[in-house]
Formats: sequence, structure tokens, C-alpha cells
Amino acid sequence: MRESWDDERLLGALRAAMEARRAVPPEFIATGKSAYAWRNIDAELAQLTYDSRSDKERSASLRSEEPASVRALTFTSAHFSIELEIADTALLGQIMPPRKATIETETRAGLTTAAPVDDIGCFAIEPRPASPFRLHCRAEDGQDVVTGWITL
Amino acid sequence: MRDDQSVVALVAKAAGSDQDAWDELVERYAPMVWSICSRYRLSRPDIEDVGQNVWLRLVEQIGNLREPAALPGWLSTTTQRECLRVLHRRDRLVPLPEELPPGTDDAMIEQGIMEAERNAALRAALAELPPHCRQLLSMLISDPPHPYAQISTLLQIRIGSIGPQRARCLERLRRSRHLATVIGGEAAATLEKTAGGEPRA
Repeated sequence: MRESWDDERLLGALRAAMEARRAVPPEFIATGKSAYAWRNIDAELAQLTYDSRSDKERSASLRSEEPASVRALTFTSAHFSIELEIADTALLGQIMPPRKATIETETRAGLTTAAPVDDIGCFAIEPRPASPFRLHCRAEDGQDVVTGWITL
Repeated sequence: MRDDQSVVALVAKAAGSDQDAWDELVERYAPMVWSICSRYRLSRPDIEDVGQNVWLRLVEQIGNLREPAALPGWLSTTTQRECLRVLHRRDRLVPLPEELPPGTDDAMIEQGIMEAERNAALRAALAELPPHCRQLLSMLISDPPHPYAQISTLLQIRIGSIGPQRARCLERLRRSRHLATVIGGEAAATLEKTAGGEPRA
């Protein structure tokens, strides 16, 4: 029999292990699990490079009392970036530099909606998809870009 | 399952197309990813962003990991890199703190990996115990702990037998295959420290 950990120590370690697990929000785990859906998808992941919400959070001490504004996000890939505004009832966005494409939103439950991207790169998705969702942009030049999950 | 073989097995399965194996890896190591992000004091949206990127990187790389047994270390390094990327992005908006937050130096990170592996092993070991042991131990470690009288009522066992059952369940836990390397490896170092811990009657 191993004499390594006595009962108190083992119980203490077990408590710490369960607390470490409880500290993690379920959504954080869910996001990790759903990442596996990309196992065989050959699209490039666009990085979130700007989020007005975290910007505001960070600079709250510098500039306060700003009116609530539309949340704006920018995702950047090697080939183009996707700018997105979250309006009350719709998502409005633009691909930069502009190109013809189809943009799809996909919810965690796997529902997808497609919308065309026009000649100047603009698109509108209405109604707003259930949160969290992600965007998948298939450009006519063959570039295929996805964003991470967006939580509203 | 600190038993490295089983991490290797999970990685191999997840590199195929086994969602369950992948989910198990996430369950085990997400707490470590989370705790590293917390040390960098990232905002909640930033933590979500980091977590997502870490797992997506792993999805890309899982078939190419040179040393599957070292997955926790790989995850830790990747998480730190992603945290720094987020700090860098913030750098353009507000000045970076003069120095990295405490708890992000190598020794602390190494410690964090060990803790994460130990915690994952303990949770895996607990999950494999018979239901009555799982219930009893969960009540004993809850915060605040359940009083014996309440445990007695809820689990319908006599107060007098809680102590012996607790000892038996902990012994089963101790013998779990998941804890073989974890407890064994630290035994020498921790024996003295805990020798004074007295069992509760």
C-alpha cells in the first residue's frame, strides 16, 4: 500500500481540483468542445483584432459617460478583414478590401444563414442570429475565412 | 488520467475523428487554460477569445504533435502566446503594464502545468468511483462541507459509519490508475509535510 498522501491531503487536493473545475464557466468549456467542428474544415481562421466592447471596458477610466453605441468588431485574416457592426435587429458588415463573396452565419446549434456580399464588400444579415454565432466568408476568388464564435 | 499513456491515447483518438476523446481533453485542460488567462488579468471577452484560439490551434495541430504526452505543456505555451497577443492588441489602445503580471514566469507556469495535470487526474479518478463514494466525497469537499448529520440523512447511512466509509472511498481513490504517477511522483516530497495530518474520527 502506498503511504504517499494521507486522507486529509487527498481530500484537500480533491477539493482544490473540483474548485479549479468549478471556476471555469460552462461556455468556456463548450467553446473548446465545439472547436472540434473545425477538424476537417479547410478555412482560415480570422483573428479578432478589434472589439469596441473590450476597448470601452479598458478605457472606461479615461473616457466615461459615452452614450451606448453600436458594438463594432474587426476580424483580420491574411487575405482580407471583416468589419462587423451589431445593430439591434441585424448584423451589418463589410469585407475589406471589397470582393464578391457569400457570407454565412452559423449558430452553435448548426443553423446557417447565407447572405450575399455586394460589389463594395457590404453585407447585411437580418434577423440577428442567436448568440453565439460565427461568420464564414467564402470569397469568389476561392479564399475561405471563418471567424471565432461571437458572443453578444 | 495523469497516466501519460491515456493522454497519448486521447490525443490519438482526437486526431482521428473522435469527438468524445476531444471533449475529454477539453474537460481536463480547460481549467488550466482558464487559470493562465486569469493570471494575465484579461477581460472576459479576451479570455473567451484566447480560449477559442487555443483550441482551434490544437484542432489544427493535433495530428502533428511531436510528443502527445507533452500536450499540457503545449497547451500552456500556446495559451501564454495567445494571452500576449491579446495584450499586444491592447497595447495599441492603452499602455501595457510595466511588467508582466505575477504568476506568468516560467516557474509558476511549470507549477501550473503540474497542478493542472494533478487536478485532471483527481477529477478523472473521482469520476470512476462507485456512485456512493462519489456522493460521499462530494459532500465532504463541498464548501461549506455537509455536516455528518446531513450526510447521514441524505445518503441514509449511520453517522458512525461515515468515517469508515470515507476512509474506504479515499483508499479506492488513492489506488486509482489515474493517480499512480501523480501521487507516487510527489510522495517523497510531501510525506513529511503531511505526516501530521490526523484522520478525523
